Amino acid sequence: MGKLEIIYAKSQDLVEREIEGELIIVPLTSGIGDLEDELFSLNEIGRDVWARIDGKRRVSQIVKELEKIYQVERGKITADVLGFLAELAKRKLIVEESPCQVT
Amino acid sequence: MSGYLEELKLPDFHLWKRTEEKRIPLSAEIELTERCNNNCVHCYINLAANDEKARKRELSFREIRGIVDEAVQMGCLWWLISGGEPLLREDFADIYLYLKKKGLLTSVFTNATLITPELVSLFKKYPPRELEITVYGITQKTYERITRTPGSFEAFMKGINLLKRVDVPFTLKAMALRSNINELEAIKDFCKPISKGPFRFDPFLHLRLRPNGKRNRQIRNERLSPKEVVSIELSDKKRKNGLLKQICEEKKIGQEPGHFNDDNQLFYCGAGRTSFTIDSYGFFKLCSSLSHPDCLYDLKKGSLREAWEKYVSKVRTMRTEDEECRKRCLSCSLINLCMWCPATAYLECGKLDQHIEDFCQVAHARAEALVNTQ
Repeated sequence: MGKLEIIYAKSQDLVEREIEGELIIVPLTSGIGDLEDELFSLNEIGRDVWARIDGKRRVSQIVKELEKIYQVERGKITADVLGFLAELAKRKLIVEESPCQVT
Repeated sequence: MSGYLEELKLPDFHLWKRTEEKRIPLSAEIELTERCNNNCVHCYINLAANDEKARKRELSFREIRGIVDEAVQMGCLWWLISGGEPLLREDFADIYLYLKKKGLLTSVFTNATLITPELVSLFKKYPPRELEITVYGITQKTYERITRTPGSFEAFMKGINLLKRVDVPFTLKAMALRSNINELEAIKDFCKPISKGPFRFDPFLHLRLRPNGKRNRQIRNERLSPKEVVSIELSDKKRKNGLLKQICEEKKIGQEPGHFNDDNQLFYCGAGRTSFTIDSYGFFKLCSSLSHPDCLYDLKKGSLREAWEKYVSKVRTMRTEDEECRKRCLSCSLINLCMWCPATAYLECGKLDQHIEDFCQVAHARAEALVNTQ
């Protein structure tokens, strides 16, 4: 399966908080994030990607939707989204959803 | 792409400034219970573990959930669970998990004597931001001279070892008392290799939150003299540097005439700006030491939002007409080196605006010693 076909879901082991208009991701269990004393915040584009990680959309669909919003060349936005998702996955903030789990 | 995701290191948390400007209640403390299984000679709050009257008055889990939900809605991010001994509550694990699952960075203060394998598993899976444990002594004799509870030293060591065995990080700290002063260096040596955070000690003992003449006499007897306080502080490099920094800030502030309390406002500290405390029975207060009845708001009869938005400013704008307090305390250039504040003044003298001679002596001894070391 190509990277664009992957479906991601947010980890169950984190809590999303919105404080003063800022989206903050608080790791709930040990092993999430690299450091114990760490929160994560997302910028505007990061939030747009994050909002679309729902355990249903494929990466290709997320790219398509962002392409419409930001009107950036597809190759660039694809590379950006894949890089961002890889980083989220590395920190265990998102997990790959197996295809059979998707309705 | 990494620019889409920002790691927030808590010490550099950029929301701090914004939340202060907007008065967001970012940080909260709840005293889950005043009861404790120890009976420490210096304690300002403890009631007997089996005090049924106190237990029945304590906030229920349901009531706590209501307060927490409101606090989270208002932007709260840090939450400290303290006591008494919070692990005495049978529903401690439920409360702790509830806070964690609300996205609160939750810390726990405990004496570690009630740590069980189940609690260790809980802390391992859902780590507290800080797990702070007070060490009263490292020999049974000293430890139990303070806790006045036979078997407590063994229980404490057992708790520490349970945490160590599965690598749950914890920070150790001590109170410096007459009863353990001779062991303080050994306590430090015991703590340093196993404590997550830097070892720290506190030589300042609060009097009882609820007036109690006999217990207050015991606390006073445990206090070190100003000379002893200064001596142990200067022998600790970190603490000494912290105090020197404070003195430099005092000097800077001192260059601005009239900086302090030109309107005789009593509360010069940060209490109630971005933080608050809730006692075991649901009373909201600006900080854990502030027990004056005029400074308490009953959350069982109102809401956290009302306490935060209306009551805090009412307390923080309290003023004094007491000449001695204005001249000797509120205008004092050593105020940041002094334990004096309206909360401690009330505990010591029953008035929010009274000068406290003992504290004054410690502040001056500190200043003198620090100036001599510069």
